[in-house]
Amino acid sequence: MFRVPLLVALALIVAFAGGIASALWALKATVGFGSIAIGPWVAFPEAQTVTADPYAKAHRARAGELLYGGAEGLMFTAATDDSGARLSAACSYDISGITPPARFWTLYATTSDGATLRPGPEVPSAINSWTVLRGADSRFVIHASPAAQPGNWLAIRHMGNFQLVLTLLDTPTAGSSGLIDLAMPKIVKTGCGDA
Amino acid sequence: MRSVLFAILVGLAGAALLHIIIVLALPQFTGRDAYTRVLGLLEMDSFFLLTTEPGPTGLDNKDPFLRTAACSFSLGEAPVRLVARGAVPFWSLSIFDSGSNEVFSMNDQTAVNGNLDLVVATPIQLVELRKSPPEALAQSIMIEMKDEEGYAVLRALAPLDSFDAQVRNFLADSRCEPFQR
Repeated sequence: MFRVPLLVALALIVAFAGGIASALWALKATVGFGSIAIGPWVAFPEAQTVTADPYAKAHRARAGELLYGGAEGLMFTAATDDSGARLSAACSYDISGITPPARFWTLYATTSDGATLRPGPEVPSAINSWTVLRGADSRFVIHASPAAQPGNWLAIRHMGNFQLVLTLLDTPTAGSSGLIDLAMPKIVKTGCGDA
Repeated sequence: MRSVLFAILVGLAGAALLHIIIVLALPQFTGRDAYTRVLGLLEMDSFFLLTTEPGPTGLDNKDPFLRTAACSFSLGEAPVRLVARGAVPFWSLSIFDSGSNEVFSMNDQTAVNGNLDLVVATPIQLVELRKSPPEALAQSIMIEMKDEEGYAVLRALAPLDSFDAQVRNFLADSRCEPFQR
């Protein structure tokens, strides 16, 4: 007797639970389509424009960030190292190489949710293209580590996973359609724990 | 048994439909998108300097080297003029409409003499400005915006801590106000 209402209820439960859960999952998992991925670094040069896809628009409306305009800069985020393993705050990483052409760049670490890590003024928690120490061929090596390092030290004071954010300011990279061979710094794990 | 399978299948089709509706409709309903947050700064017609700690609106200076100021404006009555002068290593400006879509962006190298002087107007206001250009706007860049509501984000760079005061003065002295001829 209750067969038909039961079936209708089942269909409705599947529809609402599945629809809401899949939408939330999709918006959490990605910023949308149209990304530039160079090694572990990912950027979304179109996310702030009117041509952004519906997922990108829904994502940015939920995140509520002030995004960079095309002439301002391009923000690359890395959640993994070059081998694909997630960046762990217990480990040390070497970020080495050069950046794509830009007038200026900044590098800092965030939590997995995107909140900037601010360990305090006594340790260097961010590096930019003026303060970085370079080799004779203008390449640089930045040591992201919880323990103090010689050279360029990016202090990571955090538990769990973190992300690296490299922002290129006034860069032609945003408009490039993959015609220029873009070189981003490599992220290589050098060790974990206190050693 | 077949009817249970059928019910689940119908449910999955409904789930796909709902997924699409949620993703398409979400931007109108979140209540925490960038435009709503900038409006929450309660400062119409002037640049508001963001701090390193997220305020009640949840907006903050994400980048340790960039100082950000935001200004919401309405073109309902008059065009808006954005002015900033001063020497900072780098500044950049973006203008967004109420849907947080980028309308225009620029930086100090694309500006006249490195100074910010820009007028945002609706197409009708722009026609009037072009018909009889005011003396004050001889050097200004004119931007057309179809949407009447929007916000501007001005960023200035302090690569070293010693630039901090200079950058703060630059942002504090910048103006974002209705243009009356």
